[in-house]
Amino acid sequence: MVTDVEHLLAVAGRAREQMPPPGDARYEQYCVALADRLTEAWPTVLTANAADVGRAAATGMGPALLDRLSLGDQHLRALLGLAERTRTALPAVTAPAAGHRAGNGTLVRRVPKPVGVALMIYEARPTVTVEGALLPVATGNVVVLRGGSEIAGTNQALGDAVDKALADAGLPAGAAQIVTDPDRKVVRALLRRHDAVDVLIPRGSPTLIDYCRTSSTIPVIASGGGVNHLYVDRSADLDLAARIALDSKLAEPTACNTLELVLAHAEVAGELVGRLVDAGDGSGEPWLLRVDPRLNASVPAGAAVAELAGTDDGREFLERSVGVRPIAGLDDAVQHIRRFGSGHTEGVVAADQGVVDAFVSRVDAAALVVNGSLRLHDGPTMGLGPELSISTGRLHVRGPVDLSALLTYSWVIDAAGTLRGGSEPA
Amino acid sequence: MTDHKRVNGAVKRLLVRESRLSIDPDTVPDDEPLDGELLRVNSLGFLGMLVRLEDELDVTLDDDIFAGRVFTTVADVVDAVLDAAKETT
Repeated sequence: MVTDVEHLLAVAGRAREQMPPPGDARYEQYCVALADRLTEAWPTVLTANAADVGRAAATGMGPALLDRLSLGDQHLRALLGLAERTRTALPAVTAPAAGHRAGNGTLVRRVPKPVGVALMIYEARPTVTVEGALLPVATGNVVVLRGGSEIAGTNQALGDAVDKALADAGLPAGAAQIVTDPDRKVVRALLRRHDAVDVLIPRGSPTLIDYCRTSSTIPVIASGGGVNHLYVDRSADLDLAARIALDSKLAEPTACNTLELVLAHAEVAGELVGRLVDAGDGSGEPWLLRVDPRLNASVPAGAAVAELAGTDDGREFLERSVGVRPIAGLDDAVQHIRRFGSGHTEGVVAADQGVVDAFVSRVDAAALVVNGSLRLHDGPTMGLGPELSISTGRLHVRGPVDLSALLTYSWVIDAAGTLRGGSEPA
Repeated sequence: MTDHKRVNGAVKRLLVRESRLSIDPDTVPDDEPLDGELLRVNSLGFLGMLVRLEDELDVTLDDDIFAGRVFTTVADVVDAVLDAAKETT
């Protein structure tokens, strides 16, 4: 283990003490500086990324995964947009609340505070490095970023840009530290440091999330991946349901808020298969419909479909495919979702308001989408501003991990001399 | 202790979880493809798998345990872990 974890966390601790309070003008300056430094460093970043991708290709990594590692100018544009949206969102997010007057006359209000030191552990996706160095720091937190070993060179180049942006904005060095040491002992050592790390934010594969959840006592903000369903009721507009299903998947097939399985009321499941095929043909994009064998007779002649296996329940396909399985009705949909869903995003398509109400009442997930695309479960799309990830946890934050989720608060009691005394009831 | 049965069980549990499946790991055949109709495993998920394997099996696995090897089936991963465990014990 080359990385000195003690030193790394000591630097983080000192930075935490030196960070200005949320809302300080230096955080907006940091957003601007990070955009400038990324733009300046981008040729260097791309060179480092090409080397990382080349090494990954040499180990036999497939094209889809190489694509996830690769950076291009489109990624820079997206990151610059994120930095600007973060900057513009900061004043409202960090504004102190008005508070309320308590019965004893004191003014009770909350002022935002950073959560503290955040540890992000993630696999691949170099853009996460910038997202992690941006959103937490812009809200006053200190962050330690441990990315995948496949992109260590890219992360080093991005880290240089982050360091310069911190200096430009007058923020402490060490507010964002990037660990490029691939030794897993570093991960273990960090996960043991609940005394120095306030929140753990893993992003990646199921086993990584599980490991973080079960091997550390540091509070976790995690997305458990999205095994998401769409219940299509017999009262649904089936053309709409088909469009919703495809929109919920095809544009971003590996995103965590996409659709995996349509649970279709048995009375309309066969007809829905035809509508899905028609809608898919009309999209002009390659995709695959996975059909429950009980619906084979409903597959239009010549349509290329695959069989939906029993073991596909609970699967996140991570490809341009949608499954459809017939069920008896809402009760079965609820049971299926409870058993196989990941509590991320669940949707219903129904014209019957009673069915909608029952679905919303009985299904529990971070987001429930009614008669719309599951991909609407997204911080910016929901009007919540930039997001770091989508949480499937039940405490502190559920759904989009937006800037406000990276803040906690202190209660301020403006007492103006008020005393509690000993005789007043609590 | 890193006997074949124990490693086989640990590897299958992780591969099933990594593939986001809700099935009994013991039902996965040794010759099941890693990236096929049942299992869907890619190398970007190895960090979580490796740290968990090290903890469960009490072994140290090299970072490059999977480098330069062709992985097609569950048995390939089991063999790689067994080989690595021999070298580090």
